[in-house]
Amino acid sequence: MVEMAIFIDVSKCTGCRSCQVACKNWNQLKAEKTTNRGTHENPPDLSANTWNRVRFNEVVNDGKLQWLFLNDRCRHCEEAPCMFAAEDVPGAIIKDKSGAVIFTEKTKQLKYEDVRGSCPFDIPRYDEKTGQIYKCTMCIDRITNGLKPACVTACPTGTLNFGPKAEMLKLANKRVEQLGGDAAIYPGEEYNTFWVLPETEENYGLEAKATVSTSRKFAWNKILSPWGTLGLAAGFIGCLSKADTVTDQEQTR
Amino acid sequence: MTNHWIDLKNSDCILAMGSNPAENHPISFKWVTKAMENGATLISVDPRFTRTSAKADIYSSLRSGTDIPFLGGMIKYILDNNQYFKEYICEYTNATFLVSPDFKLPGDNDGVFSGLEGTKTKEGYVNGKYDKKTWAFQMDENGIPKKDKTLKDPNCVFQLLKKHYSRYNLDKVEQITGTPQEKLLQVYKTYAKTGKSNKSGTIMYAMGWTQHTVGTQNIRTMSIIQLLLGNIGIAGGGVNALRGESNVQGSTDHCLLFHILPGYLKTPKASQPTFKEYNQVYTPKSNDGMSANWWQNYPKYSASLLRELYGTDVSLEEAYTYMPKLDDGANYSWLTIFDEAYKGNINGLFSWGQNPACSGANSNKTRQSMAKMDWLVSVNIFDNETTSFWKAPDMNPKEIKTEVFMLPCAASYEKEGSITNSGRWMQWRYKASEPPGEALPDGDIITDLFLKIKKLYEKDGGTFGEPIKKLRWHKHFDSHVIAKEINGYFLEDKEIKGKLYKKGTLVPSFAYLQDDGSTSSGNWLYCNSYTEKGNMAARRKKSDPSGIGLYAEWSWCWPVNRRILYNRASVDKNGKPWASDKPVISWNGTKWTGDVPDGGWPPMSAGSKSRYPFIMQKDGYGQIFGPGRADGPFSEHYEPLECPVEKNFMSPQFVNPTIKRWDMEGIGTKMDARATCDPRFPIVCTTYRVSEHWQTGVMTRWQPWLVEMQPSMFVEMSKELAKLKQIKNGTIVTVKSLRGKVDAVAIVTQRFKPFTVAGTTVHEVGIPWHYGWVTTAERKYDSGDKKPELFTFGDSANLVTPNIGDANTMIPESKAFMVDVIRKEGS
Ligand code: SF4
Ligand code: SF4
Repeated sequence: MVEMAIFIDVSKCTGCRSCQVACKNWNQLKAEKTTNRGTHENPPDLSANTWNRVRFNEVVNDGKLQWLFLNDRCRHCEEAPCMFAAEDVPGAIIKDKSGAVIFTEKTKQLKYEDVRGSCPFDIPRYDEKTGQIYKCTMCIDRITNGLKPACVTACPTGTLNFGPKAEMLKLANKRVEQLGGDAAIYPGEEYNTFWVLPETEENYGLEAKATVSTSRKFAWNKILSPWGTLGLAAGFIGCLSKADTVTDQEQTR
Repeated sequence: MTNHWIDLKNSDCILAMGSNPAENHPISFKWVTKAMENGATLISVDPRFTRTSAKADIYSSLRSGTDIPFLGGMIKYILDNNQYFKEYICEYTNATFLVSPDFKLPGDNDGVFSGLEGTKTKEGYVNGKYDKKTWAFQMDENGIPKKDKTLKDPNCVFQLLKKHYSRYNLDKVEQITGTPQEKLLQVYKTYAKTGKSNKSGTIMYAMGWTQHTVGTQNIRTMSIIQLLLGNIGIAGGGVNALRGESNVQGSTDHCLLFHILPGYLKTPKASQPTFKEYNQVYTPKSNDGMSANWWQNYPKYSASLLRELYGTDVSLEEAYTYMPKLDDGANYSWLTIFDEAYKGNINGLFSWGQNPACSGANSNKTRQSMAKMDWLVSVNIFDNETTSFWKAPDMNPKEIKTEVFMLPCAASYEKEGSITNSGRWMQWRYKASEPPGEALPDGDIITDLFLKIKKLYEKDGGTFGEPIKKLRWHKHFDSHVIAKEINGYFLEDKEIKGKLYKKGTLVPSFAYLQDDGSTSSGNWLYCNSYTEKGNMAARRKKSDPSGIGLYAEWSWCWPVNRRILYNRASVDKNGKPWASDKPVISWNGTKWTGDVPDGGWPPMSAGSKSRYPFIMQKDGYGQIFGPGRADGPFSEHYEPLECPVEKNFMSPQFVNPTIKRWDMEGIGTKMDARATCDPRFPIVCTTYRVSEHWQTGVMTRWQPWLVEMQPSMFVEMSKELAKLKQIKNGTIVTVKSLRGKVDAVAIVTQRFKPFTVAGTTVHEVGIPWHYGWVTTAERKYDSGDKKPELFTFGDSANLVTPNIGDANTMIPESKAFMVDVIRKEGS
């Protein structure tokens, strides 16, 4: 299989959340008990049972109200920091040749804090019942059988796209050109899931790009000192979760 | 829809008003997005900034219930700035027609059209009815409407239109709608650009337009705009109703409503005792040889329907006597049914595939009326608020005599058959799995029921048993058999246009149906859907030779597979498409190519051999002046029954004079109360849906993945209102009207903004109508009661909506009424 990628054209997303349901359906993930917190966004966070979710952000720029929808999920990094955190357990986290980063059952043998802390995007989540760590699989079971990922198939607007990475990058670059302004590829081209954001990252409550390089530093740090990760990881979670929870109500207060 | 979903991609400008397609018709956005990629402009007009607004190039707000002033201002703009498509309106619409000189416009007549009879009150007329004598066209010596192609005659429709909407100036419109003038102008300018002959603009509307006391006139106003701009008949144009259920189009086509029979034939009235008289009343006559006047074929369709129902053993005349007749002037709509039930005049109810306890306006009245019935049968796939109404938290089962039966039925995926989507496509669906347990397809349930009733009549006799005993019915339900009968058969050998059609073969199309009883057809509009060539609805060919997305061999579309209605208006007099880059049909000198044309006659330049494009209208012209409506040939602004202003700024007539009022003394009860401009209920409220739930939630509230996303009844409000009411985001509040109250989580958002209406601040809130007490945590679950995996919070929005209907359709005014929002103690 050639290297594949998911390209998320944020400008087209209507926040319908077909992707959220499709993921739960295909992967048979349990529904979470939620409440309405004064926003349409739910569940409030990724979890072992929620591998993708749409963030809803109300922002006002130059007096113009925008309601921005962003599907958040694993970036399937080319050089995945989580793999560094898992190197002691071979086969726990695998980079498949399709481009997918796969968490296997062996993640049970990993330290959750290490894995979550290693991810610059705060994606991995732990299930206490199974003891395993979970996240988006890029629907490895579908894509290796000629199907598109479930979320991509369900998306009605053309926001979610799947195909050979080279093609997806071409599409993405074309969109950046068409959209103009602040439009850019996020987090970058070295990922197997990437976005085109029509607005700056801050508008979506995303971390600035700096995090990516920080995470590299972190990965380096990890190589130098395998057990010295915890404090640093906690630091990461703190700063990222702040960004993560900027939802409708917070930005509008 | 005059057009269809895929056709949205052909549009240059899409107006989403009275609808929220991104949330409620998510798949439509595939085509909206395509149009936008091709450079189309999307305009979203909504009291609240929605997920559609989030994608729009232009967003404009308006106070709920003021769509007519908003659009009336657009008509004025189009006329004042010569943005209309002159050739189109002169040749294809009744703009040139002369109206009776006795006709009076509301501007000259206290806010009503001439001919109104009714009770006059200090708010203007109530329970009025129009004598339409003065709305008639002037006729020439041949009995053909007189026309003035210069559009100058003061009695011509064009001049009347100009005069009427001249009152809808920007100041007035802003004063009523609360929309700033710059916004109005931006919308008007952008949309009016589609008046160019090669441009198309489309309207996507839904219940945001229909659920008003002026619902029909909201749509009429837009139809006038579409005619003025030459947007009917063309690709990317039309008037497009986004239906609220996947098969609502089909159910309407097949007579779900009391006043129509399949194919929009009229339900007979008591004053029409014979088939001949009935046909006479409903068969329009035109003296203009160039008017196709398609409804002149009415007797063929009505005869074929009677044959389908009663077969050939019974004469057409006898069969007609078996048809149920409406009492003249009586109204059997939803609101009336529950009103009569509330008054104790209806003792049984089949609630089939619906949940009136949550879906009907003024739910408290609806729920109370169920308690007055002797029996209630609920046919549904899950427990719901109707099935279990007798054990609702505010009911005492000991005091309720109603015997309730629940019949479990198959879901749509558990049976084979067709659905007809908003674009009029009849699509065949196959059965995916067996229904669980005792659940049966609706067809099987109704067959069992009918055969049992028939047997009882045969055994015990009974009043007027013939209509039941003689009705044709199959022992077993088979969707293919029924689909073929809907199409229709030749009942005897018949030679038509030199070709012999054998008895027992399927009729190729409705042009072959006969008025002499030699053909049958369960629905003339569907004649051509299942022919000797096979089941047209099951076709799945993906090629598109049209190049504009007609996909003519994917499923089948009524009528006769015509994908865009009134497509003869998409070409000039020589049959050349107005928009050469997206031709719907075009004349190649000998025949039409492209879509199935609205009749095969040559283009208008062929003179008497041709026909005018609007073939379903008696005169053949698009109706800018529409005398068929109950409340006026043009639209006029009237306030919602409950509104925040003390008067109508347009005229002394406060609310629609022709609506059926229950709130008047001596007519209704305290359940029908109205609170307009009442300080106790100062906030405008509107209702809507979210992507994550469906209708009253019977199908979605049991589905944990959906409940997880939208777990609870909510009320959206502006930050300004929240501050005023000291309401914190995410806390529980009570929304209260004169009729009832419902708890909801407050979503405090910038997506709602207060309006400035006539100089004062008006607040509006919005609530979804998907919730109900059956799936909540607080209720009592008896053993055997199904418990949802995830509970929902809150009850139906209809606990606060009013039971008042549109003057033409009786659809309730659920989109604009008055409430208060109150902080709950302790929050
Ligand atoms: S690719 Fe598959 S696993 Fe990943 S978010 Fe989409 S549906 Fe879920
Ligand atoms: S399915 Fe597509 S359009 Fe809908 S929320 Fe997901 S990404 Fe957005």
